[in-house]
Amino acid sequence: MAPIVRISNLDKYFGRLHVLKNVSLEVQPREVICLIGRSGSGKSTLLRCINFLEEPSGGSIEVDGLTVHSHERGNEHRQRIHEVRLKTGMVFQEFNLFPHMSVLQNVIEGPVTVKGMERSEAIALGEKNLDSVGMLFKRDEYPLRLSGGQKQRVAIARALTMQPRVMLFDEPTSALDPELIGEVLNVMKKVAKDGMTMIVVTHEMGFAREVADRVLVMAEGEIIEDANPTALFSAPKDPRTQALIERYRTGGR
Amino acid sequence: MDTANSSGQSQADLLVAVQKRKQANFRMGVGATWGILLLILIFLFSGKSIGSYQTIQLNTEFMRNNLAFIGGGLGQTLFVSILSILLAMLLALLTALGRLSTFPPIFALSTFYVSLIRGTPLYLQIFFFFLALPQLGIILSGVLAGVLALGLNYGAYMSETFRAALSSVGKGQREAATALGMTPLQTMRRVILPQALRFAIPPMGNDFISMTKDSALVSATGFVHELMWRAQKVGRAQFNNLEALLMAAMFYWVMTLLLTFLQSRLEAYLAKGDR
Repeated sequence: MAPIVRISNLDKYFGRLHVLKNVSLEVQPREVICLIGRSGSGKSTLLRCINFLEEPSGGSIEVDGLTVHSHERGNEHRQRIHEVRLKTGMVFQEFNLFPHMSVLQNVIEGPVTVKGMERSEAIALGEKNLDSVGMLFKRDEYPLRLSGGQKQRVAIARALTMQPRVMLFDEPTSALDPELIGEVLNVMKKVAKDGMTMIVVTHEMGFAREVADRVLVMAEGEIIEDANPTALFSAPKDPRTQALIERYRTGGR
Repeated sequence: MDTANSSGQSQADLLVAVQKRKQANFRMGVGATWGILLLILIFLFSGKSIGSYQTIQLNTEFMRNNLAFIGGGLGQTLFVSILSILLAMLLALLTALGRLSTFPPIFALSTFYVSLIRGTPLYLQIFFFFLALPQLGIILSGVLAGVLALGLNYGAYMSETFRAALSSVGKGQREAATALGMTPLQTMRRVILPQALRFAIPPMGNDFISMTKDSALVSATGFVHELMWRAQKVGRAQFNNLEALLMAAMFYWVMTLLLTFLQSRLEAYLAKGDR
């Protein structure tokens, strides 16, 4: 099967800091990938390069057959980045819901404004996705009145309503109170079960163990380990991976 | 357990009551002092004498006769102010957006405009439009010259308000919009601006209030018959400047009090909103 995401020789500098070092990665359709690593290892930057929230310094990104080379410029290049963004949905650590819009408006904003979808069609789709994350009952509420877990579930519904091919999660539970993490992880499990391709930057080892098909470990801008969770957690090869897993174990997660 | 709970409850009620009484006392004290100061002010202009000291005697007949004439300028004052604030808002918004541009000429145009306007007096700008432009064959009515000068002037200052409001919208909002595939223009229109305008409304209210008073400068053209112009006209003619200016001052003051009240209501409403 052809990979749905192919990252080739990706480099990223912030000023003189070399954050991603020649990273390559292939993700198959319906695969769930968890990216773990210490903070500063480059895992969020890698994720944000996939939908060009960060501009790669070198290499190329391919999503669903569409390739963008980092050295290209111009209108066609911008158009391809736009199309890659349409194929990817993103969920942020800080939710980033639009506070001036109701829950439903948040969810249909993308399809209506960006894709030009009929409002009625967008509402039907949005309501379906709000229902699947268990948030339809807050349809007309404003984000301010939601808990963190509820906000993140709405954010997932918002990303899903764009009907992406790949979902990117950037530490989706890190800003949540511990008792709210479960509801978000459950929604993510459901999205995975529905066959969505997912790339998840996370510190939730339980989630990685249970849901991921592959767990990638990043350190100093490189992928140092890439294995299925059973193998990785029971027999980590790299000493840095061992130290990381040990830290999580003692940290109680 | 039950009694402990209810006594804890009454304890809390008591504390709240004390707090409320303190606040009420403070407000009453402030109100009473305002009243006294107001009475002293009125007394100072009452013409009554204490011993050998006489307070200021006003020509009340003049005041009665000219109340309607001076007050008739209120409409013109508000008219000029409203037109000017609308122009100022438009310019301020465009200028603030220009300051975000990465295209050098647009950025330069914005900063140049702000620098030029803030570097010269408003009084001069009003005269420039009214007196200097005719030399170039451009003749503006007093109202138009006033509105252009006030609008340009306040637009430059208010652009900073808009800039602050735009930058107060978090980076995450822009990223979320971008991730959804919005173009920079869509992001600005659908996500950033609606939130920024909300931040900008209270300070814009303040600017409007101070503009109603700066509009008095437009009287210098001699062709806008607002409060200040009318007060000067009748005051000078009959050498009753004291009475005329006092009356105009009262009109400005009452108008400002009303607008400030409306402004605080608007702020309370916005604070209660969905944010």
